[in-house]
Amino acid sequence: MHEWSLALSLVQTLDRWALERGVQIRRVVLSVPSPAQLDVSILTEAFDSLKRESRLEGARLEVKVRSPRYRCRACGYEFGQEEVDPQIRRLVGQYGEEYPLHLIPELLPTFVRCPRCGSHDIEAELSIKVEEVETA
Amino acid sequence: MRPLLELAREKLRRRKVIAVMSGKGGVGKSVVAALLALARPGSVLVDLDLEGMSAPKLFGVAGRLHEVGKEGIEPLEAGGVKLFSLGGIVGDRYVVLPGYGQAGAVEALLAFAKIDSDIVVVDMPPGMGEELLALGRAADYLPVVVTTPSKASYKVVRQLVDYLAEAGKRPAALVLNMAYLDCGGSRVYPFGRGDEARRLGEAVGAPVYEVPVDPSLEDYVGRIHEYRGPVADAVRKVAERL
Repeated sequence: MHEWSLALSLVQTLDRWALERGVQIRRVVLSVPSPAQLDVSILTEAFDSLKRESRLEGARLEVKVRSPRYRCRACGYEFGQEEVDPQIRRLVGQYGEEYPLHLIPELLPTFVRCPRCGSHDIEAELSIKVEEVETA
Repeated sequence: MRPLLELAREKLRRRKVIAVMSGKGGVGKSVVAALLALARPGSVLVDLDLEGMSAPKLFGVAGRLHEVGKEGIEPLEAGGVKLFSLGGIVGDRYVVLPGYGQAGAVEALLAFAKIDSDIVVVDMPPGMGEELLALGRAADYLPVVVTTPSKASYKVVRQLVDYLAEAGKRPAALVLNMAYLDCGGSRVYPFGRGDEARRLGEAVGAPVYEVPVDPSLEDYVGRIHEYRGPVADAVRKVAERL
């Protein structure tokens, strides 16, 4: 359900941004890291519902789910999402639907260890970002 | 654009954000923050001590997880205080985070928290790291600086006050925690009089408040909302002036 509050943050932030510039928004590209496992259909439904009577009324939301590349700062090993997926699946099993990375993807180093050396000292780009805004 | 930072800013705008901080650990920040929040019923307490997470322990809600709804994270409630903590996301588990993760966690916690009070008390972690910078990006906070009278904590507290001054902020209060013991009506100052901290308060124009030692407070860890002793009385005086 946290997709709704994320959509609200998006609509409120962009509406204010558009108001300051006197523009309407037509398209928004949101980039989310795959460990967050956001339900894109709920996010889009929430966005479409919340955008009414705002400067995003005619806007289309595109969600880009990106697979981060990781680097272990302890041993230097670089790896892809597929190598940490089993660890994330265990986490979902343990916490349920609103598991920590769903809410805060940046918590990944707390829950995931380097597949080679076991360190938690992992770096990656894990923030949720607006990548593109198309205005009219 | 970072929508969570923007939302965190929006959530805290036009609210009184009281940040309880110190340069150093072990001075009693979390107790002061909890009692400040309790002194202003209905207030929201946000625990930004991402690794320590003392606030849930003080209120006896450690290990409980936040409910998450359409409007965001629901608070844990105890004694009229609405509490938000990373502990309510990760449960009874350690948190180890690189700096970039700390900033993201602070922003997400503030952005998703269902904050509906005019007063937001923030329990800061010890030290002057990413959380302090992240709070500065999200809100125009009112610093309450906690120290003990010990010379060991004075130096770091002075550095924190120096930093705040450069950031254009003056402590709204300087709390001398564990200042004295009441022994049969007379006060004993086991850790010194805190003269340096007092002079610092005078120099920057921040009122200094003495908060006593009360050994019985330990019995209230887990139910701090039931505590009615002299520490609460002293912190209430701070709250009345904020």
